[in-house]
Amino acid sequence: MQRLPLSYLKPGMKTYEEVYDAQGRVLCGKGVELTEEMIKRFYELGVSYVTVEGTPVKLPWEKSLEEELSELEKRFEGVNDENLLQIKEILKELLYEKYKARIHQS
Amino acid sequence: MKNIKQESINPDPSEKRKEVKKKLRKLEGLPTLPPIIQRLNQMIEDERTSLHQIAEIIEKDQVITTKILRLANSAFYGFPRKVSTVQQAMMLLGLNVLKILIMTSSIFEFIHKEDIGLWEHSIGVAACSKIIAEKIGAGDSQEIATAGLLHDLGRVIIMVVLKEDQPKILDLISEGVDPLSAEKRVLGIDHAEIGAFLMAQWNLPERLIEAVASHHNLENSKKYRKEASILHLSDLLVHARGYGKTLYESLPPFEVRALKYLGLGWGEIKEILFNLEPRLYELKFFTEELKKELSS
Repeated sequence: MQRLPLSYLKPGMKTYEEVYDAQGRVLCGKGVELTEEMIKRFYELGVSYVTVEGTPVKLPWEKSLEEELSELEKRFEGVNDENLLQIKEILKELLYEKYKARIHQS
Repeated sequence: MKNIKQESINPDPSEKRKEVKKKLRKLEGLPTLPPIIQRLNQMIEDERTSLHQIAEIIEKDQVITTKILRLANSAFYGFPRKVSTVQQAMMLLGLNVLKILIMTSSIFEFIHKEDIGLWEHSIGVAACSKIIAEKIGAGDSQEIATAGLLHDLGRVIIMVVLKEDQPKILDLISEGVDPLSAEKRVLGIDHAEIGAFLMAQWNLPERLIEAVASHHNLENSKKYRKEASILHLSDLLVHARGYGKTLYESLPPFEVRALKYLGLGWGEIKEILFNLEPRLYELKFFTEELKKELSS
């Protein structure tokens, strides 16, 4: 799954979850293939993001789990304060979970 | 070694400090406040003015309207839906925050152009501050998000107004001096104090000024220690997550008592970081959009 702003949506992408309007009403169900018309309607109704199936868009700023982990190590290089190390552990957990979710759901 | 360097750079930091403050008072080299601010201040003071009238005045200024709506729609305020009118922004953010956004929009513009890393850091801290404020129920979380946005205002001011001193600060940092001490040695004042000084000149709310002034030194805060602690913790967490870029190559110094002041344990920190992640994801699109505009 990939969460994308409207400007990144293309007809043919499939919704991964429901899309809601400003009043919280469902505009579009799960697993629906987007059309030009629907995307236009999302704009009109003030939707900002839609989560779609798979990872159809390659975002140039996105890093791999390995890159994320090695950068995390670098930021915490030489740190031995136990509180900071606690934060590092939480971030590691967050990264593993984030990337695990990606593999499962894409 | 470091002492020798200090003397060759700046024989008397207190003299330099006076000089810096003088410059700040005159706002030399800074973009002037938009004229609409004066008009707005008059209207806000006049109790007969309705919010609707105020919104109308702002909407007449297309440039400012665009800037406000863009900021209101960026993920750091975290509204689930698009904010499309000034009136909506006013309802959601409050007049106070709206006024601050208008006043500081020219500064933000400068950060976009000169230092996109610092901009990313600032919006990351804004988003995180808002999440923490909501978590602990520290009133007006939009205002705290705005304090987060402005917490490194002093850094921007150093880049704009004190340009010629900037390389000396960077030199000291590359020699291993920590950024805050480097600023103090060269300027006799650090970015937290500079930011707060300017915010006071602009008559921004005391709560924001004190939070910004104390975000690297919590003992400095009096009435708004919670707010200062929120900025302090957000600053650390956003650095730790590696979002944006500042003078700190790794992590800024952390005062663990911030957690005590906020009544937060590790379970809550984890929750905050997990809530922050999707916000940062959305903010990345916002920054990319800005970058595209700047290069076109």
